Amino acid sequence: MSGGIVSDRTAASEAAGGDGVGLLQQLRQRKAGLVGLSGIAVLLIVAVAAPWLAPHDPASQDLGNVLLPPVWAGGELTYPFGTDAIGRDVLSRLIYGARSSVLISVCAMLLGGTLGVLTGLASGFYGRLVDTVLMRLGDIQLALPFILIAIVILGMMRDRSPIHLILVLGIPAWIVYARVVRSRVLSEREQAYVSAARSLGASNLRQMFRYVLPPASKVVPPIALIDLSHLVIMESTLSFLGFGLTSPSISWGQILADGRQNMIASPWLPVLPGLAIMLTVLTINLAVEGLRDDGTPRRRRRRSDRKAADADRAAAPARLPGREVSIDGGAGGDRDGDGDPRASADDVQGRDGDGDGDLGVRRNGGGGGQAQPLLAVEDLEVEFDTPTGVVEAVRGVSFTVERGRILGIVGESGSGKSVTSFAIMGLLGEQGHVTGGSITFDGTDLTRAPEAVMRGIRGPRIGMMFQNPVGSLNPVLTVGYQIVETLRVNRGMDRATARQVAEEAFGTVGFPDPRHVMRQYPFRLSGGQNQRVMIAMTMALGPDLLLADEPTTALDVTTQAEVIDQLLQVREEHGTGIVLISHDIGLIGEVADEVVVMYAGQVCERGPTETVLNDPGHPYTRALLGAVPQPGAPEAQLAAIPGELPSAQQPLVGCPFADRCDHVMEVCSRRDPALLPLAEDHDVACYLHHEPAAPEQVATR
Amino acid sequence: MSALLEVDDLHKHYRLRGRGWWGQRSVVRAVDGVTLRLERGEALGLVGESGCGKSTLARTLLGLETPDGGSIRFEGRSIDEVEPRWLQRRVQMVFQDPYTTLPPHMSIRRIIAEPLIIHGLAKGDELQRRVDALIADVGLPAAVADRRPRQLSGGQRQRVGIARALALEPSLLIADEAVSALDVSVQAQILNLLRELQERLGLALLFVSHDIGVVTHVSQRIAVMYLGKVVETGPALDVYADPLHPYTRVLMDSVPDPTRRGRDRMRARGDPPDPKDPPSGCAFHPRCPIAVDRCRDEVPLLEDWRPEQHAACHLALEPLDGADTNEVDRSAT
Repeated sequence: MSGGIVSDRTAASEAAGGDGVGLLQQLRQRKAGLVGLSGIAVLLIVAVAAPWLAPHDPASQDLGNVLLPPVWAGGELTYPFGTDAIGRDVLSRLIYGARSSVLISVCAMLLGGTLGVLTGLASGFYGRLVDTVLMRLGDIQLALPFILIAIVILGMMRDRSPIHLILVLGIPAWIVYARVVRSRVLSEREQAYVSAARSLGASNLRQMFRYVLPPASKVVPPIALIDLSHLVIMESTLSFLGFGLTSPSISWGQILADGRQNMIASPWLPVLPGLAIMLTVLTINLAVEGLRDDGTPRRRRRRSDRKAADADRAAAPARLPGREVSIDGGAGGDRDGDGDPRASADDVQGRDGDGDGDLGVRRNGGGGGQAQPLLAVEDLEVEFDTPTGVVEAVRGVSFTVERGRILGIVGESGSGKSVTSFAIMGLLGEQGHVTGGSITFDGTDLTRAPEAVMRGIRGPRIGMMFQNPVGSLNPVLTVGYQIVETLRVNRGMDRATARQVAEEAFGTVGFPDPRHVMRQYPFRLSGGQNQRVMIAMTMALGPDLLLADEPTTALDVTTQAEVIDQLLQVREEHGTGIVLISHDIGLIGEVADEVVVMYAGQVCERGPTETVLNDPGHPYTRALLGAVPQPGAPEAQLAAIPGELPSAQQPLVGCPFADRCDHVMEVCSRRDPALLPLAEDHDVACYLHHEPAAPEQVATR
Repeated sequence: MSALLEVDDLHKHYRLRGRGWWGQRSVVRAVDGVTLRLERGEALGLVGESGCGKSTLARTLLGLETPDGGSIRFEGRSIDEVEPRWLQRRVQMVFQDPYTTLPPHMSIRRIIAEPLIIHGLAKGDELQRRVDALIADVGLPAAVADRRPRQLSGGQRQRVGIARALALEPSLLIADEAVSALDVSVQAQILNLLRELQERLGLALLFVSHDIGVVTHVSQRIAVMYLGKVVETGPALDVYADPLHPYTRVLMDSVPDPTRRGRDRMRARGDPPDPKDPPSGCAFHPRCPIAVDRCRDEVPLLEDWRPEQHAACHLALEPLDGADTNEVDRSAT
């Protein structure tokens, strides 16, 4: 039941993180990472190719040329970096030094990393005893003074080969990896696809290495690089102290130690190896930076995930942009290629929107003598900026809501229905913009209202309910505190009055003991209870308009029924206008007075609920109704709509439903039908009912 | 010949510890004495709200949970005695959320091939051929084979989940809320696909869902669960036409239906009970619109009220419109 949110996120990342697009661009933006990674590559090449790069044998002594200065201090080109106290070439020594310093560090990192990943994996995957033993071992090891132990061990050896250093440096590093990998494995192990693998009969090893490890190991590269920079310093320290490789092998720490003796006469001798160590560490850290900040595709996706999550919070259906890339293309193509019909369609729709609005006022507001509808959305267009370009999520949507009426907006994911509601609330977030049309709420155009005005409207005047009520409540405050504060801030009540109003509101939404519930934190309450808390808050504030976006989708059917009853009651008692957004045409049909059917960012049909449901004009509405399982006739095939929503890859021209429509005509793929009246108050955007379609053109697929 | 699946008085309990060191221990009876029977090629719908134990039951049948009591027999063999692999070849599951049940790092081809590789059923060209056939079987375009799950829509992902489950050619397919995360139009596609596969392959189907409309659409028989117990079971059409248990009726009436507009519905009162502290007697009595005193004290047993239609309710044959007859009449029936 929590699938909805997860799916939103996933789809959002899918939408925002288009494959391979902008990898280069990202790398260009992350120059630090690029510089760091190339630096490491250069170091590795130098280390491996030392024998070919070094101009001299690092050990050969030229006693006639001791302590020669480097070229920039007047030295000779034969020894570009000068010579040391016994006439050895400093450049060659540095190059060979890189060999031991870098290669030993890299090998130690690989050793520690492998050990750490394996232990972390085992620890996290098996848990219990394995976990306890491994992690306590790690704790003990971290408590020991590593450098002293390393010195003791290395000091006992007469000959120290690279393998000794690698073992001494590498093995203790495991715990750093193990801890991080373990925590990732712990969460990865709980993923549904791992238990799916288990049900397929995958062995533990297979689950670990094929299912858990690949996603969990994504955390390793940055840690490995940080570890590498530590190891370079550690190796140099040990060599400097004389516990590094034994002669004739050399490393930077050793060169530094040798040079120290002639520091006054030849300052470059200690400075050059010191510089080499510093630059190496700096390079590695730059690379870490690059990995952290989107240097790799995975990071990039993560970032868009975060973006999507923000958008999710601010403007829930962040998945819409991705699904509707096609719409963007389609609309663009339409304008470019087939400009005239599109423009005229827009005109017609605009005029029609006006006409309908007026009708609505006369029809519904007549009794109250109101001059204008509570909410009038006209020709609304919303665009989202995404990494892959601008996406038109809502393309010219018009409807009106009267006081005390329920308008149902029905459509599937990607239809733009939720974006519409976020546009009304002014919560489109950074990426979303209203690019056309108007939203008139009680005389104010919300698309032009400054944020300060919106703040006064959001909440006290327009309430909102989301699919996930827990996400809309503050988890660290009791629900009672939240509602009381809301009332104090928005209604200027004193605490006692606010509490009394809140208690009453909690009583009306069916909590037998309001005081008890008010003392609870949101996580202590069930989904249905939280949703009722939201209704209570809404009722206490008494907004004129309530936007309910899939308010019952995450709830059980019996609880859904109860929440819907409460909503109807709010409408009865407060005369609140309600916009009910849902994918469930049954729900909309049961409670809404008017219905707007949306598909791919457009209204394809609208009218009084009974008319639209009993006599649907648009093939999509008909298909939606047919797709709802009818328990009475279980033998019949469901009228599934073939295909899926227009894909994000291909541009869309003409009616967005054309590809899935079983009445598709030749004209449908060329032109986008305008929303035109079918009967009084009943509008349909379909060529089956309007010019230029003639009935005999109907083709079956 | 024995039934494909016989579940007898199955129990699965979870022990929870309260907060703190001395927190009170409590037991959640997630599955509390469930008896079911499923014939070869039959579709059984299991319906109930979240927390009623239907998913635990499904997981137990799959061998993902160890039962605490009762027995499960598959093709006449107790599942305690058979190899896990034997059971996996015969019982497979389609999971609820197609977004999280497919490993994100594998290609579709790989995902569908995994069960065949794990069970060593095919390799090389034969493996590819079978994967391609499965992809075609569930109505996916061949081009999806090399994509990753996130490049697919929800409906396509669920088809992949079905193909993966079918790879082992199971005789029982458990679909746990397999369509509840999907859009209506796509949901209908998947339901049709499941029905078609069931008929074509002679699959038995255990269809688990909270939506009684969906369940009755795909199932020949249904079982309604409430708080770990089956409260009503019978042929889908009969149960739907004339439910015996008030909870079944509440479930049916809670499904939004435009044609029922304005008519009275039977509603459950209050919130679902805390499974750690189930009500006495009939677990549904605090929410039941027609409960009487007897319901509070006496646990109703699943009884044969009509041919093949069983219900666990003292008031099973009462007209479900809240008529207030006394208890003696009822026990007389």
